[in-house]
Amino acid sequence: MEFVDEIIETGGPILGTEHIESLRVCMQCGKCTGGCPSGRLTAIRTRKLVLEALLNMRDEVLSSDELWLCTTCYTCYERCPRNVKVTDITRTIRNIAAKEGYLALSHRMASSYVVKTGHAVPINDANKENRKKLGLPEVPPTTHTYKEALQGIQSLVKKTGFDELIGFDWETMNLKE
Amino acid sequence: MDKKTGVYICHCGLGGSTEREKILEHLPAGSIVKDAEYLCSDFEQELLINDIKENGLEQVAVTCFAPDVHRSLFRKVYDEVGFLPYLIGIEETDDAVKRVVSALEDVKPIRLDEKEVDVKPSVLVIGAGIVGEQASLDIGDAGYKVYLVERRPNIGGHMAQLDKTFPTLDCASCIGTPKMVATGQHPNIELMTCSEVIEVSGHAGEFKVKVLRHPRYVDENECTGCGICVDNCPAVVPSEFNLGVGPRKAIYIPFAQAIPLAAIRDPEHCLGCRMCEYVCDKKAIRFDQKEEIVEFEVGSILVTTGFELFNCELRPELGYDKYDRVINALELERLCAPTGPTAGEILIHGKPPKNIVFVQCVGSRDKNVGNEYCSRVCCMYATKQCNLVREKVPDAKFTICYTDIRAFGKGHEEFYNRMQNEGVIYLRGTVSEVYRGEDGMMRVRVENTLMGEPVELEADLVVLSAGLTAPADTPQLANMLNLEVGDDKFLAEAHVNIRPMETRVKGIYMAGCAQGPKDISDSVSQTSGAAAKATIPISFGKVKIEPEDEIKVVKETTATAAPIEKEVTG
Repeated sequence: MEFVDEIIETGGPILGTEHIESLRVCMQCGKCTGGCPSGRLTAIRTRKLVLEALLNMRDEVLSSDELWLCTTCYTCYERCPRNVKVTDITRTIRNIAAKEGYLALSHRMASSYVVKTGHAVPINDANKENRKKLGLPEVPPTTHTYKEALQGIQSLVKKTGFDELIGFDWETMNLKE
Repeated sequence: MDKKTGVYICHCGLGGSTEREKILEHLPAGSIVKDAEYLCSDFEQELLINDIKENGLEQVAVTCFAPDVHRSLFRKVYDEVGFLPYLIGIEETDDAVKRVVSALEDVKPIRLDEKEVDVKPSVLVIGAGIVGEQASLDIGDAGYKVYLVERRPNIGGHMAQLDKTFPTLDCASCIGTPKMVATGQHPNIELMTCSEVIEVSGHAGEFKVKVLRHPRYVDENECTGCGICVDNCPAVVPSEFNLGVGPRKAIYIPFAQAIPLAAIRDPEHCLGCRMCEYVCDKKAIRFDQKEEIVEFEVGSILVTTGFELFNCELRPELGYDKYDRVINALELERLCAPTGPTAGEILIHGKPPKNIVFVQCVGSRDKNVGNEYCSRVCCMYATKQCNLVREKVPDAKFTICYTDIRAFGKGHEEFYNRMQNEGVIYLRGTVSEVYRGEDGMMRVRVENTLMGEPVELEADLVVLSAGLTAPADTPQLANMLNLEVGDDKFLAEAHVNIRPMETRVKGIYMAGCAQGPKDISDSVSQTSGAAAKATIPISFGKVKIEPEDEIKVVKETTATAAPIEKEVTG
């Protein structure tokens, strides 16, 4: 199967086939890359990623470090003159890469916090201070307040195999090495 | 469906059908279903006529590709058997059996209900840019009367606003003004400015037209264009002709070479001091002028309503509405023109710009704003504008950020080559955003796609190469004339390849950007063709029309186009 078809088959059922299929009509204008806030500081080249996907360069795309440098800010998605749903396509490619064992360490770490705390970014002192300034309760009404909800999240993680995907060790409650 | 029917599967549509038997099952006894290779040929039409006679067929259907262009083809069959084949438009993706059978359920015998009518020896031309002018001159020269209706106070359209034209760098005024003058002076052209067509009825050969003439508040025939009223008017507002780059008065002459050369009073901004009336030697000012409706009849109509420039505010990341160092290309044109508000001096914040970045494809090739098409002129006009600015600012640097360079017209590639040779940098990449740096200069963010690297360019002037869009009221115009509007929002032609100047309504033609974006060369070529088309029935003197050629007066804007099926029936 061509890599493009694989991407459409993977992302289509979740985000809509037409949505992901927009990948095919990229005209390589570079409007995405030119305004990419991440690409200004990192090596991600959105247009090139799309081109490589179209050229069936599956291994190169899936194993690339750049794939994980998108912050999913959706700037490219908003501006694309061909209405290519760039960010959602990037997310779909990441899903394929994760299944192939290419999940980046940073993303595994963030995921492990979800398993441990129910938050990819758990509350910290700085955010508690900010919340207080805004007149909000210091701790949000999430797993931070309702500890019992964390069990629900953890059983979902087990049931979906998310723990396996990110390589989570329930003994140490940390990532496996 | 009880008539003995012949169904012919013509090869161009379906490449021969394997489903003849299945179609036959749905037809009454004595019917036939056949493959045909080229039913449009004389030879196969003979066979068709024989089949009809031998088998006593009472109706015939032909599946074919693009049935609307085959409308007049089966005339010979009609003359022999007294009815026309029913044309069923079909594509390879259609279910042939279903399509044919369902089409046959609605079929009515098609008899030609045509009559021959006399043709009024006159043409209505709507819109007096270079395209409307050229058509009017051609038709006028052919000896026929032209009513040229223009809603602005002067003729000349967008071309009158240009400094020079590509690819030859001709002075736009020098080549445009003679056309305007000739149009204004032609004995066969009745020019109506400040006027709008508000109602059309009738049919090819005899359209009844109503035109609303807005008051100019100045007697066009008395006014000499001396400008003394303008000099004495105290009210100052931005000039539309100069896109707000310069001012005008409440009574004004849009530009020096305007045709007709007469002042116009803008009642919205007029202070009512009547100074103009007081100073006018010719007593040409008419404060009491009212709008009036003029009615006349014409044999043909030619629509030459042109385009509107894309509104760059719809791409907010390019900063057009935020920064005064970001302008659109037509504004730059007015700044370059010796007849413009600055007499050709290009000053941005009081200084000539030294570092100019052009942003291509603004509002073109952009589904995000609903314009999927290429505007076809921006690559070349940006290239030209580098030359215009360089003449005035010899040490300026130019970068054109492009998506693809489209230099397909005569002399275009050579012109592109020439400007590269003169140092213009072409950077491949669509500009992503424009913002202001701390030093007050602009920053242009774009990927150099050929290097694969995002870059940030510094500029003291950013020019947005705005695309061409259909005039905002095209749907209303289409509704009035019973025309179709395409997906690109321009008027739809009868067939893009072989009937590009005709519309779906017999007797109504179009040319220039009304049909879609094109440059002056292509527009002028097309308009002479359309002018010739419009005069054909007039020179013949008679035209055949059918009941469906008739345009009814549309009172409400809710009327929609007739279904395609109606068009394909013989």
